[in-house]
Parts: sequence; structure tokens; C-alpha cells
Amino acid sequence: MSEAQGAPFSGSIMVVGGGISGLTTALEAAEVGYEVFIVEKNPYLGGRVSQLKQYFPKLCPPTCGLEINFRRIKDNPRIKFFTLADVEKVAGSPGNYNVSIKLNPRYVNENCTCCGECADACKTEIPNEFNFGIDKTKGAYLPHEMAFPARYVISPQIIGTEDAQRCKDACPYDAVDLEMQPKTVDFNVGAIVWATGWEPYDAAKIDNLGFGQYPNIVTNMMLERMAAPNGPSKGQILRPSDNKAPQSVAFVQCAGSRDENHLPYCSYICCMASLKHATYIREQYPDAKVYIFYIDLRTPGYRYERFYENVKSDENVEFVKGKVAAVEDGGNGKVTVVAEDAVSGEKLHQTVDMVVLATGMQPTAVNAKLPAADLQYTEDGFIINDLDKGGMFATGCANRPADVMMSNQNATGIALKAIQTMVKR
Amino acid sequence: MADKYLVQPDVEFINEIRVTGGESLKKCFQCATCSVACPIAPDRKPFPRKEMIAASWGLKDKLLADPDIWLCHNCGDCSTECPRGAKPGDVLAAIRMMAIKEYATPKSIANAVNDKKKLPLLAAVPAIVFIVLGLLTGLLDFSPELNAHGEIAHAQFFSTWLVDLVFIPLSIWAVAVFALGLKRFIGDIHKNAVAEGKTDKESIDTKGFLSALVRVIPKILNHRQFSECSENNDRATPHMMVLFSFIGLLIVTAVFFITLYVFGIHGPYSQLHPIKILANVSGIALIIGGALLIKQRMDKTDEVSTYKDWYLLWLVLGLGVTGMLAELTRLADAAFLTYLIYFIHLMMVFHLIAFLPFSKLAHLVYRTVAMAYNEYSGREIKKI
Repeated sequence: MSEAQGAPFSGSIMVVGGGISGLTTALEAAEVGYEVFIVEKNPYLGGRVSQLKQYFPKLCPPTCGLEINFRRIKDNPRIKFFTLADVEKVAGSPGNYNVSIKLNPRYVNENCTCCGECADACKTEIPNEFNFGIDKTKGAYLPHEMAFPARYVISPQIIGTEDAQRCKDACPYDAVDLEMQPKTVDFNVGAIVWATGWEPYDAAKIDNLGFGQYPNIVTNMMLERMAAPNGPSKGQILRPSDNKAPQSVAFVQCAGSRDENHLPYCSYICCMASLKHATYIREQYPDAKVYIFYIDLRTPGYRYERFYENVKSDENVEFVKGKVAAVEDGGNGKVTVVAEDAVSGEKLHQTVDMVVLATGMQPTAVNAKLPAADLQYTEDGFIINDLDKGGMFATGCANRPADVMMSNQNATGIALKAIQTMVKR
Repeated sequence: MADKYLVQPDVEFINEIRVTGGESLKKCFQCATCSVACPIAPDRKPFPRKEMIAASWGLKDKLLADPDIWLCHNCGDCSTECPRGAKPGDVLAAIRMMAIKEYATPKSIANAVNDKKKLPLLAAVPAIVFIVLGLLTGLLDFSPELNAHGEIAHAQFFSTWLVDLVFIPLSIWAVAVFALGLKRFIGDIHKNAVAEGKTDKESIDTKGFLSALVRVIPKILNHRQFSECSENNDRATPHMMVLFSFIGLLIVTAVFFITLYVFGIHGPYSQLHPIKILANVSGIALIIGGALLIKQRMDKTDEVSTYKDWYLLWLVLGLGVTGMLAELTRLADAAFLTYLIYFIHLMMVFHLIAFLPFSKLAHLVYRTVAMAYNEYSGREIKKI
């Protein structure tokens, strides 16, 4: 957090992305003595994990896990991080990279105490991206209650309006600075780790599954936000059309995954995510029915298999082998999903209150091209690691679809690879 | 479904599907998207997912006797939505061709009709038959005179007697081959439907079956199922043109036949004669329909088209083109040309009739029967 005080070893590491993989790589490298810069595009660290209600393997809330990492960052003088920052340019070769980072203005300085006066004063509302647009937030906002750094953000959308001035006037600590300008900072680093993570696949592209057409069809990440205690409905899972408690929910596995018309690969996490979501729903609504339509369930490893067995023993959770390939209006806001049960050979029309599309992960780099020219990608946009060449590496979901546990294991290994690049020099 | 079943894969059958246009078969991972994507698959035992796994396992007997392969109109919606590019539409088309071969006797003709290398040989068959029979009987006149009205008449060159001498037995042959095939086919599809739980009927009662047939014929004529497709919807109209022009030409031929043998009236007819108008309209529709079908097949590169498809399509277009050209060259007084084209036209008609039960065109009979059976079985085809 504080100024780097000169690393005991030569060379610094830049970590692009402050999600769980990036944080792990940064901490592992810093705690053995290397100087690390974390570049994060969001106004907060923690990435996708911070959006979850619980995460595998132990079903911890994100506070457990992320907070300890934030503590370690605060305590470590060798880590410096930048939020609202984009990598603009990368030049050089392994051991010697020049990186230009664009720092976008937050319009709120370190005087902020999170009192919230600015948000109260602000009249404009903008879609809450942290909640996938389910609800709205003020133009001056704290991204979420656990946000680190704990500091408000003024949206660029209200800059130049009276609202921005109202926020500034309301702040008792002189923390709002509307004159902040974007600036570019240059760094010289020995290695770069791309921990750019993933985005949920755009469900609107799957035209036979009705996302965007029926309000009660949501994605798995939207359900995660609904279920999270800091979510739009304070943890209550409610049907979007009328905010009623759903009595039946259907999960559509492989929604746009393992499908050459969308994502041809398996995203690894969606089966476990839906099983976990089934537990959220069943805990909240003891009478609710859950249907999980799948091609085949992938629950790798002993722990995950046991989790699956537990969910399967719940008689209100029904598993149907057959992919949902069409949806219809079920009347009264309900949705009917259509699938062939491949075991019985009958076509089912299941009408439910809410449908959850288990969409997969798409590497962020697909939709936001990285500025490093000599990175190699798979056809699907995952970064291929060239360990012999070294210098630049990908970790976590920038490299392949993975859960938190695998991401952390991989991130630790990549920290060592980044260090090796500089030791070789 | 619950009882145990020992799978005995017929590997040769699997390979044959793959070379007949179903090469993508093994990409299927049984997600069942296709059964939902299909606009005409029923809720009760829908297709084509179950056909895809049966094909992967090489269950030949199960597939060839499966009426559902015929309910499929190859609209391609399943192939478009298939997440693996397994193209169930193409696989079912390949299985249908193999079913045609299976129910046709003799097999050697079925194999020859569907073998590209045998085409020159098969093309030569009608030419030889015509020339040998014509010379033996003297009904083929290579230096024909004009008719009583001083016009060119094809019958002066290729006697009507010779035409009928060849085509009447040939038609009887085609009917006989179909009759033999259908006898087995109907028994087999019923057994299959009972075994797979597609019907509650225990046996086929002829009256019920015939009344089901009467009910499906209008559906076939107006292409109701065909038009449900979204992917290959543009094929429905040209296909309808071809079907109706064949029906039109069948009527024309029957009328000519009756007037000739009953009333002793010879052609050619005046262009203004109603039956001639029907003939000309049908001929033109045949050319347009055939050409459009060929164009659509050529444009649709993501669908597999094999020899079985091209043989039939070019034959259809060839029949239309040679038929119309024979008429036009006759009216233009181009004697040599018109006789030559007429001869070729008759060769093509020979192919159409003689190889009808062996070529893809046999779908005319098998699909009609399977649709009638499905109607009879009480397993309704429903829109999702």
C-alpha cells in the first residue's frame, strides 16, 4: 500500500487484474521479497469472488478469504496497487518491460470516510454493474459494502452536471475532487502476469433460451447477486417480474457452453455453481422445487462429488438428463422450458416460476483486447503460457476456466515463474 | 427402456452411414437439443436424438425399421442448433437411403443406382433396350416421315407401341418391387413402434390404416410439415412445384394413354388443348422447381449433399429440360435434334420408373406410408 521501499531483489512484477488469481500471485511474489504492482480496472479489488454469496470449496462468503488478502496487501510495503487503471501499452522483452498505465479519475480522494453524504446528495441513478444491472445505484457510490479500497466513486456519467457539484458540496471531508484528470504512468518491470479473469458469457446471444425476452430468465451470476446478503434484495431470491418468492426454479446447464455456436468448451464451474444455487434456493424456500437440466454433470474430485450426492439426496431437487433447447411463455410470468429427457425418451415441458441459465466463462481478453502484442491465445481467447520464453504469463481464468481453488494453485505457481524470469536475467 | 440390452454394434453399418453423408455422426454427445429443435418431432419418443445414439452404436435393424427416420423432412433445424456439428439431419438422410436399399430387391440394382461409378452403365441400359427392342420389332424408325398433317411427330421415329412395350412392364416392375418392400416395411415399422412405445396399437387394421393414409395425403400435398421448418423453409415451394408437376404429368400421360387406346386419337396435340396446357405448365414447373432445388443444395455448404441427392435432382431437371426441348425443337422443325432429345428424354423416363424403388425418390412411397402409420398409431405430431 505504501510507497515501495526498494525491493531486496532486483526487478519488479506487474500483475494485471486484482481478482483472486492476481491477488494471490502478487502476494506470493511480494512475500518472498519482490516488488509488485497490481493494476485493476474496477474501482475495487477482489474481482468476481467479491460478487459471490459463497464460494467453493468450503462455501465461505467472499469476506472470508478476500479480507485476509487485503490485510496482507495493506501490511506489505512491496505491493502497490492501482484501481480504475488500464494497461495502455507494453513494450520490451522478458526481464525488461516498459508498461504505460492509464489511471482513470475516481473523483474521490483518500479523505473519504465512506460516510455516504455524497450518495445521499446525488439524484442521478445509474445501473449497478456490480449487480449485473438488477438494481440501480447513485451516481456517487461505494461499489459494494466490502469494497477495498473503501472509498466512494463518482461516476463519469455525472461529471459536469449539477449532481456532481451537489456531491462535492455535501462532502464534509473535502474528499470529492471534480478536477481529477486521467493520467498515464510508466513502469519498468521484469515480468507481467495477466490475471485478467473472465466475464459471464452474454446470455442474450443464446437466442433459443429467451434471456432478455422473459424477465424471469436470469443468469447464474445474477442469481448469485440475488442470493448474496449485500445484493439487490438483501439476499432474498425473488422473481424479477413481481418480486415474489419462486416456488419452482429450473436450471439450464451448458447454456451456451460446449456449443460450437457459442463457447465450444466446458467452463468447469457451472455444474458446481448450479448445485450450490440449488442449496441457496432450498435453504430459503423449504417447499420450492428445483429442476436441473443437464447434458452430463461434471463434479470433479471427491469433495465436489460428495456435494453433488448431498444435493441429489434432496427430493425436491430433480435432475433431468437433457438439454433445454427451447423456452415458452408459461403464463402469469412463468416460463416453460422444453427438453427431451434422454433417459425416458419423452419430451418434457416444465413450467416454473424462474429459470436460471448456467452460462459459462469467457476470458475478458476476448472482448477487451490486451495491449501486449506477443501474447498467444487459444481459439477461444485464453492466453497460452510460453514457459520457456517467460516474461509474460497468464494465470487463473485468463489461462483456462477454473474454480477459486485451482486459480489459487495456478497463481502461486505463476508467481514463481515470474520470479524465475528475473532470476535468469 | 429399463430392461437390459446387449449392444451388438454393426461397424460396417456405422461406416456406411458415414460415407452416405452422415460423416459427422460420431460428434454427437447426446445433449438432446435436436429433439427439441425439431419442429415436427412429437413429445412421445421424439427424434432424432435416439436415432443418433442408435446410429453411433451401429444398431442397423433398429434404425432401418424406425418410422421416425421418415417423419423427418430433413429441414435441418436440428443441424443448425446442434452444439457439436453432428448434423442429425444429414445422418437421418443417410439412414433413409440405407433403408431404401434395405427394402428394395434385388440389392444389386439398389447398390448400382447409388454408386457414382455405375452411372455410365445404368445410363446405357435404356439406350440398349430401346435400340435392341426397336430394331427387333421395327418400331424405331431412324428416317421417319412427317405425319399426316405434315408435322414432325415423335411417334413416327419412336413408335408409341415401343414406348408402351417398354414402360408398361417397367411400371409393373416398379410397383412389384415396392409391394415386396412395403410388405416387410409396414410389418417392421409397426414392430419397432410397439417395441419403443410409440404406439398403443397392437396390430395394424387395414381399414384404420387406409383411413389414416387418406388423412395424411392432404398434409403431404400442401407440405404442411415441410413448411414448419425454419432452416430449409425455402425448399418447400420448389419441392411442391416438382411434386405437383409430376402429378400433372402423370395425369397428362394417363389422358394420352386413354385417348390413344380407347379413342384412337394420336398426338401431337394443339398447344391450345387443355391437356397440352397442363403438360406445358407442369414441364415448366418441373424445370424451375428442379433448378431451384439444385441451386439451394449448392448454396447450402453446411449441409452434406452426396451422389444420392445429385442423381435425383439432375434427373428431375433433366426430365423437365429434355421434355420441353423435345417439344420446342419439334415445333421448330429441327427434325434430327428433336428426335435425339426425345430419345434422351425417354432414357431419363426409363431411369425414373425403373430405378424409382431404388433411388432417393423412393421416399415418395416410404415417407407417405410412415406418415400414414404415424397418423394411425395415435402418436400425434405436435408443435412444441
